[in-house]
Amino acid sequence: MDLAALGLTLRLATVTTLCLLILGTPLAYWIAGLASAKTRTLPRRIAQAAVALPLVLPPTVLGFYLLVWLGPARAPGRALIHLIGHPLAFTFSGLVVGSVLYSLPFAVQPLVLAFSHVDRNLTDVASTLGASPLTVFRRVVLPLSRTGFLTAAILTFAHTVGEFGVVLMLGGDIPGLTRTLSISIFDQVQELNYTAADRTALALVAISFLALLLVYWRASSPETAVV
Amino acid sequence: MSNPAPHFQLSLNTDVGAIHIDVTLTFTAPWTILFGASGSGKSTILRAICGLLPNARIFSACAAPEGGALFAEASVKAVELDGNYMRVPPHCRQIAYAPQQPALFPHLTVRDNIAFSSSLHQPANPQLAEEALSLFELHKLSHRSPAKLSGGERQRVNLARAFARPDTRLMLLDEPFTGLDLRLRDQLIPRMQQFLAARSIPCISVTHDVDEALLLDAEVFRIDSGRILAHGPARTILADERTRLLNALR
Repeated sequence: MDLAALGLTLRLATVTTLCLLILGTPLAYWIAGLASAKTRTLPRRIAQAAVALPLVLPPTVLGFYLLVWLGPARAPGRALIHLIGHPLAFTFSGLVVGSVLYSLPFAVQPLVLAFSHVDRNLTDVASTLGASPLTVFRRVVLPLSRTGFLTAAILTFAHTVGEFGVVLMLGGDIPGLTRTLSISIFDQVQELNYTAADRTALALVAISFLALLLVYWRASSPETAVV
Repeated sequence: MSNPAPHFQLSLNTDVGAIHIDVTLTFTAPWTILFGASGSGKSTILRAICGLLPNARIFSACAAPEGGALFAEASVKAVELDGNYMRVPPHCRQIAYAPQQPALFPHLTVRDNIAFSSSLHQPANPQLAEEALSLFELHKLSHRSPAKLSGGERQRVNLARAFARPDTRLMLLDEPFTGLDLRLRDQLIPRMQQFLAARSIPCISVTHDVDEALLLDAEVFRIDSGRILAHGPARTILADERTRLLNALR
């Protein structure tokens, strides 16, 4: 098995998961409508549809757009190159950007679901007891959404481990830099090295199965019941 | 004799669902009851006072000079005035509220539910939570999870949590005795009145129970379809209801 690819895959999945938990939490909170009772529904539904796009788009489409828009041919890409000194394509950072966008629904949707299940009466009461919106989130919403956070983290991690199209389009196949496990399998099959491909595929199956087992095991926890 | 000074005045004009609420209320008594049938808009008025109805427009909500401002000095800075439209976020209002549905925090014990508010305030006031536990006879249940409480026990925790809010200037109770047995209710009423009187906290509660209103001997606003029908002492305003009850018992 390509250990460098395994290490890179786990590093990419970890960084992507952390980024998405940080970025996805406020987004999911807003989409769930808990941030403010005054928020209109239409913008939230538009955001929800945009977040879900990677679920239905072929990964190559997202990879293609990222390759173009992060490259020197477009203004955002030029601005980024000016800022960091090099293009994002074919770098680990580029892979992280692509993975964050591609795995966005896998982090945001479980969080939206978890936040939506928090009874509005609980947050209302907390605010009348003197809790600011941030305190309401920290002391009430967050503890009641733990399962959602765990599900989001596991699904994001597992999905990033298995992604192929976006990684190939945006990162290419540079050993030790952008070659992940899924690309390694592709290379091994191309080389007719089925034994190595079999071992790598088995490792991916094991990681994915364990991740899903954790999700379903935690999902049976009744801790979000409202009294 | 002159009328006592109002501790809180409120004008509310809003639509909630099918009900149009248009009321002007002046609260002078230590305990005031909003009395009316289900769906008359009385709970909505309480939620508006708390700031939980974002689109409700409250005009001229103010406290009497003797009672000081209803909102903490820090929170006054957060007031955005749009004409007379008052927008103060709920957490900045010094108003304690026990909703009709207890909505206890399921991840906290009874004690932690009751101490929730005092843990947010600096300096923390754990003594107040202890007093509320004693007032509502909850010491034996203090380490229990809300999921393991009966309906009446949950309601007592709900009330205790509101009573344990520090710096309260106004107490709002929505159907406070729902689920409590009559013996306990009759015991709690004078204790609650005493607790509030000792701290000069006026109370506005909501009920459709004539017996409860007469027992509290409070000032009553009789409400129907979002409008005030009558205002005065419970024995006067609810005399017809009392007669109807007595006739039913004969």
